Amino acid sequence: MHNKKKILEKTLIYLVYVLISLFFISPVLWTLSISLRPLREVYKYPPKLFPSKIIFDNYIRVLHTSLLGRYLMNSLIIVLLTILGTLVLSVPASYVLSRIRHRAKGTIMISILVFQMISPLIIAIPIYGYFEKLHLLNTFTGVIIAYIAIQLPFVTWLMKGYFDTIPLSIEEAAMIDGCSRFQTLRKIILPLSLPGIATATIFTAIQSWGQFIIPFVLLSDSRYFPISLGLYQYQAGKEAITTHLIASASIISIIPVVIGFLILQKFIVKSLTRGAIKG
Amino acid sequence: MREKSRSKKWVLLWLLPAVAVLAMFYIVPIFNVIIYSFSNTSFFGEKIGGFTFNSYKTLFSSKTFIDVIKTTGVFVLASVFFQLLFGFLSALAVVWGENKGLRISPVIVRTIILSAWVLPGVAVGIVWKMLLSEANYGILNYYIKLLIGEKIMFLSSPKWALFSVILANIWRGTAFSTIIQYGGLKQIPPELYEAAKIDGASSWKRLLYITIPQMKQMNFINLALITIYTFNTFDMIMALTGGGPGRSTEVLSLYIYDKVFGQWSLSTGAASAVVLLLINLIIVIFYYKAMKIGEISHA
Repeated sequence: MHNKKKILEKTLIYLVYVLISLFFISPVLWTLSISLRPLREVYKYPPKLFPSKIIFDNYIRVLHTSLLGRYLMNSLIIVLLTILGTLVLSVPASYVLSRIRHRAKGTIMISILVFQMISPLIIAIPIYGYFEKLHLLNTFTGVIIAYIAIQLPFVTWLMKGYFDTIPLSIEEAAMIDGCSRFQTLRKIILPLSLPGIATATIFTAIQSWGQFIIPFVLLSDSRYFPISLGLYQYQAGKEAITTHLIASASIISIIPVVIGFLILQKFIVKSLTRGAIKG
Repeated sequence: MREKSRSKKWVLLWLLPAVAVLAMFYIVPIFNVIIYSFSNTSFFGEKIGGFTFNSYKTLFSSKTFIDVIKTTGVFVLASVFFQLLFGFLSALAVVWGENKGLRISPVIVRTIILSAWVLPGVAVGIVWKMLLSEANYGILNYYIKLLIGEKIMFLSSPKWALFSVILANIWRGTAFSTIIQYGGLKQIPPELYEAAKIDGASSWKRLLYITIPQMKQMNFINLALITIYTFNTFDMIMALTGGGPGRSTEVLSLYIYDKVFGQWSLSTGAASAVVLLLINLIIVIFYYKAMKIGEISHA
């Protein structure tokens, strides 16, 4: 009797899980399904849920006939340099913010919180003006600097929270042993805060991969487009007849970030549910 | 004494680069937007004239802007409400399975939900466009036609287009809301439930008197974050409807972009950006208060 109830409850849970999963995964699966079918099946009515046979022609065609490969490369370069720049700027600063007791500290932390919440569109408006004067429009340099500025508040906030969890006594011991501040940070603090740095890297990578407003405002030369903007322009400039290619292009833009996410998902959930949000 | 001044030097040296970047890319631009909004400037590089309220007057007497504010309001309210609700239900379902000793399936569900969050906004827009399309490949409309005999003009009718944009945004934002609420649920001490069980409280009562009150603080933070994300939504709508048909899905961020970079009317665009800025600031204050309450109750 008791066992029967248990089995019933588990069945119910699985049913709920299937429903939730379907809601979240089916939109993407439909695009995937379109991208993998022969052209004539894309426009056939009634539409079939699954392709009669799976082909990769659409992917090959979209990579050959568009700049998508280049956009992916651009995104990779931009994201890597953004991560590097954001960490170089934020790690020393957040370490200081974690260690000092000064009245300016509260103001700085609140300002960082405010900056993090402001729509990038608001600051993109004047930045367009500055970059026009500095000839930084349509350059990687300009875009990367802006990406770093967008990521900096969140990463500083996150790293400061992480440094707060490392006890002072550890570095005091190191300094008594004659380590300089920089040596202490490099040899003692950084190895201890690798999980924090990893979290910051993952978040910066995900957010920069999808970043749209900044390149949309700062770039008009397609040679510099990151994948998000490239994909947008690709679908905006096409007639309806290229649905199968747009589907493939979307899946291509999704693959790197989803693979990265699947590998690191445990880690991401952990940091999202723990201090990451509350800082 | 010497030690002290030396220690101050490294503090400045390490703090300064980040603070300088923040100042250059946030404080200066924010002041600049405000200045633009009180001027008559129409494009970048033009000399900024005298102080005037004209852009704000133009803005608030423009029917388009009022419509945009209304659209934004509906978009944000509906999105946030359902993101909270669906996020809560999904998180509850994941924890439910975990408590019943399931190991793998809750992780799979959690992963599927959260993967919606990592997708680029443009990709989300395109994915939903294909799903809701009125063309032959619009799979949803195929089933709808089987059911009710006709297709729904999800993207070409103004009313339905707003519905579609909200639906796609709920789908996208529920992922984040779920994971935050999942974290909140995991933080509730199990002893509370044990005690309630011994007292004979039904599962419905436990939800009402333990789960929901315990989640309050986490949900204030969650509410602030998803509201801000929804207000700032840009890429997903650009890809899904581009603000159309007509202006039916033009939310504030799209309006700002169009004013500044589409119509080259910098001062009016800046004034509308200031409106968004104020909205952002109000939510930050709310968020900060929610966090402070949390710190006190945790201490």
